[in-house]
Amino acid sequence: MTAVEGTPPAASTPLVAPVAEPLPSSPATPAAGAKAAQGRQRRRPVASWLGVTLRWLALLAFSLLFVYPFLWLVSASFKPRSEVFDNRLIPRTFTFDNYLQVWREAPLGVWMLNTVIVTVLAALTVTISSAMVAWGFAYFQFRGRKALFGLVVATMMLPGAVTLIPTFLIWKSLGMVGTLTPLWAGNLFGSAFYIFLLRQFFLGLPRELFEAAKIDGANNWTIFVRLALPLCKPAIILTLLFEFQAAWTDLMRALVYLRDSSDFTVPRGLKALLDRYGFGGEWHWEIVVTASVITTVPMIVLFFLGQRHFVGGIAGTGTKG
Amino acid sequence: MRTAPLGRFAVTATVFALITTGCATGSGNSDSSAVAKAFGSTSAAPSGQLRVMGFGADDEIGSTRLALAKKALPGVTVSLVEGDLDIQAFLSAVAAGDPPELVYANRDQIGTFASRGAVLPLDACISSQGIAVDQIAKPAIAQVTFNKQVYAVPEFNMVQIVMANSDLLGKAGVQLSQLSGQDWPAITSATKKLTASSGGKLSVIGYDSKLPEFLPLWAHSNGADLLSADGRKAQLNDPKVVEALTFANGVYQAQGGFAKVKAYRDAADFFGKENQYATGTLGAMPMEQWYVNVLNEMSPKAPLAFTPFVGKDGKPVAFASGSAWAIPAGSKNAAAACTFIKTMTAVDSWMAAAKARADARAKDKLLFTGLLTGNKTADEKIRSTFVKPSGVKAWDDAVKATYLANDNTFSLPANPADAEFKTAWQDAVNRVLNGQQQPKPALDAAQQQAQAALDKAWAAWDAKK
Amino acid sequence: MTSGLLATSKAVRHSERKSAVSAHDSRAAWLFISPWLIGFAIFTAWPLIYSGYLSLTDYDVINAPNFVGLDNYRQLAADPKIAQSLGNTLYYTVIQVPLHVLVALGLALLLQRAGRASGFFRTAFFLPKMTPPVAIGIMLLLLFNGQSGVINGVLGWFGFQGPSWTTDPNWVKPGLILMSLWTVGSSVIIVLAALREVPDHLHDAAKIDGANSWQRLVRITIPMIGGTLFFLLIVNTIASFQTFTEAYTAYFGSGNTTYSNDAALFYAIYLFQQGFEYLHMGYASAMAWVLFAIIMAVTVVQLVLSKKFVFYLGGHR
Repeated sequence: MTAVEGTPPAASTPLVAPVAEPLPSSPATPAAGAKAAQGRQRRRPVASWLGVTLRWLALLAFSLLFVYPFLWLVSASFKPRSEVFDNRLIPRTFTFDNYLQVWREAPLGVWMLNTVIVTVLAALTVTISSAMVAWGFAYFQFRGRKALFGLVVATMMLPGAVTLIPTFLIWKSLGMVGTLTPLWAGNLFGSAFYIFLLRQFFLGLPRELFEAAKIDGANNWTIFVRLALPLCKPAIILTLLFEFQAAWTDLMRALVYLRDSSDFTVPRGLKALLDRYGFGGEWHWEIVVTASVITTVPMIVLFFLGQRHFVGGIAGTGTKG
Repeated sequence: MRTAPLGRFAVTATVFALITTGCATGSGNSDSSAVAKAFGSTSAAPSGQLRVMGFGADDEIGSTRLALAKKALPGVTVSLVEGDLDIQAFLSAVAAGDPPELVYANRDQIGTFASRGAVLPLDACISSQGIAVDQIAKPAIAQVTFNKQVYAVPEFNMVQIVMANSDLLGKAGVQLSQLSGQDWPAITSATKKLTASSGGKLSVIGYDSKLPEFLPLWAHSNGADLLSADGRKAQLNDPKVVEALTFANGVYQAQGGFAKVKAYRDAADFFGKENQYATGTLGAMPMEQWYVNVLNEMSPKAPLAFTPFVGKDGKPVAFASGSAWAIPAGSKNAAAACTFIKTMTAVDSWMAAAKARADARAKDKLLFTGLLTGNKTADEKIRSTFVKPSGVKAWDDAVKATYLANDNTFSLPANPADAEFKTAWQDAVNRVLNGQQQPKPALDAAQQQAQAALDKAWAAWDAKK
Repeated sequence: MTSGLLATSKAVRHSERKSAVSAHDSRAAWLFISPWLIGFAIFTAWPLIYSGYLSLTDYDVINAPNFVGLDNYRQLAADPKIAQSLGNTLYYTVIQVPLHVLVALGLALLLQRAGRASGFFRTAFFLPKMTPPVAIGIMLLLLFNGQSGVINGVLGWFGFQGPSWTTDPNWVKPGLILMSLWTVGSSVIIVLAALREVPDHLHDAAKIDGANSWQRLVRITIPMIGGTLFFLLIVNTIASFQTFTEAYTAYFGSGNTTYSNDAALFYAIYLFQQGFEYLHMGYASAMAWVLFAIIMAVTVVQLVLSKKFVFYLGGHR
């Protein structure tokens, strides 16, 4: 559910559209493209060398643009209060005090632990349930399948305002308000975005494999768990990572459901810090900035480690080469 | 994150609706004898839980008083819900029948809470525990008095004084008294002298009239208030308000337009060592008194001068704002909450807090510039006990101006549609500042909008009675 | 544009027809999709109906909703701020969404050939998505500052006098659109993943035939990933109709700023003001429903305009 509720769809819409089984000869375009290109000069080595240089320059320039905000934050976290906004990337006065103070004043350890619990559960449950549902839609034939899948897709178009309405009441009636449960348990029911994504991947798997397993006496569950899931590993990792990111930054549900600061997740705790030290507080922005850095770093590490699997892995799903 | 507010909206809306249609929470119409009983002072020692929403004991003023309040409630477990008051979280808790026992809010929010029945009238609490409301400044009480009943106990006061850079004034041949606020043409002409630019860019802001936030101050000093004393009639297009907006906006026009001034002021290191006074990039502005502490800490050597803000009638004046304690409808520990409020706002507690602050400032070799508690008795006692002359004229002037402003405040009365009322006039001011509209038509539109919102909210309140 | 997608759906159709599963499996199918069915009933269908009811009431949050029929919708039709905020939102959507997709495509194409360093660059492009939005919001106001901001500084090198991004009503939305492109990271990764699926031999064949890289991009790559691009278009349209955070942080603030700008009043912000600042929950519910209807309508138009997506999502017919 997180994908729909907590974050912009774009953030958590891993809509990779893998070409299910590209037929080498079917698109007319390559031939047409080739025809149009005939008679033109072939690229010369110089041009290609120039192209490579330009491409690298562009990559570096763009990545600087995208890294800048974080660099700014990191640099600000090492500045004393009076220099936080001086807009220099290299601090005039370098200090480690902010980190010590944050560690003293905010129970970051507890907040991190809560967040890890929520994010791990959220990512695991949504991946498993979405994979099940996706497999149901991808593998089986049944009456109403098309209509139901249309409904899945339609739910992606609902604004959060409409889809979310009585969730709070449900959790309230279950006595779960004030606990971490409402932050992840909705994921038990899958999320349309991931269902769509995973179904595409399942459709791309060779069916013969499953038929063979069936003849060998494997039941539906075994086929799903032992065959389909492992073959879909890159998509599973992608789902896990995207949901991890969405849950890690989810402030809205934390605001609505959590009361005691010992139950706070990191985004909720950051908001409390911001109220206390930032806007309306004492304007100790260096504290807010430092806490932001501390809580963002684990996410960056995780992303860096995970990204090679999902992007690299997707290329290896058997459609290429 | 992008869709989150919609989601939040939906969740809370539903919860409110379902709960209020279902079980009664006793909100709004608690009969007074029951309330009086609930606040009953001494018969039994209070026990149980006291959850406080919206208050953070972040500095010595907060923590000293909190410790005293806890001591006054030995059998009670006091816990703070961290972070500023989140209206959604608060109202959803009230509607769900699970409110905090005590809430800490901005004074201007109280009217809206009271009109919705989200907080209890405090008359019984005040009388049974003997809270000395007569010590509290009248304008502060007016902000939390709705329909002739007091719904909260105010604390703290923020007031404005004029802060100037004496070097720039001297170079431009401008007297500080010209900028006090009494003589508008003098401000405009001084602004032109003080303003400097190089290469098409502003290099010195001559005078910052602090729009939109200080429109109420400019209007009042011109003899008009934005809202009638009973909180029912908006007076946004009163000719005197239009005149005030025209003047305050004209100050920006004289410096190349609001866009330039805002961009330049946004880029300044407002809370740092390179603030506008230290860098000599601002001539003067009216500003709230707490900024004196920032300047004293960050740029003690800057060439500063302070003077009270003065209305057109020649009298000092300031637009007061601050916080307040209120007890939510359905609070399960109203007696303890009342004791807590009493302790937090008692003169002795303020004295203890002021001592802690003065000691801390002395330890850091900083000046103690006083403390505006909202309680006049406490203010005087603190001033006479802890505020010492610094030997530097500027800081002593600042302290003098602050206390003078504190004795001459006004406020806008509590009303049931404060957020809409504010949005209406602030939007109008912003349209003028952005050059989209002239002051008169902008305020005419705002008047219509604000009055419609007030009428609707008051009609709902009147119907409920 | 359609060929890649047709190829996809053809392939899917092909493989499914070949091995249609027998009818008695349908029970297993229902078991597999049951989590979603339960979730749909509880978290989607019921909320929809309930917020519909709320939109027909006058409701101040604390006291019980009071049924008022279609009053809220009538009031909404006459509210000038509705028209204004919808206009702002449309302006934003029409410009931001295509730009977002184009930038995502461009960055993904660059990344595709980054070789060993691509891990670093992928993380770099995703970084703003992981940084707390409040921090980014504050910093962006510094960057876009009309007088001293880095953006206008760079423009100055090229002899351009940059506008007052944060105050001039004509430049506020373009500034916000530029800001929003910062969080294009997940779309980049989605496009990148799709690019990886374009079979190499198509490119090789075209190369041999002498197609230059631009031609290969237009004739092979874009058609092959058309489905993904189109999907990004739809999803981002939905998101941009609900755009809130950036504009709210910058121009409507956390209670400390009184400066605001009409030009940044988006529909979602006005809805938030009505619901939570003015406590008009019934009115805000009606606004949410109108937004839902608009998004549905726009999405349907997009779908009709591009039949291919229907093929794509239908899988087979």
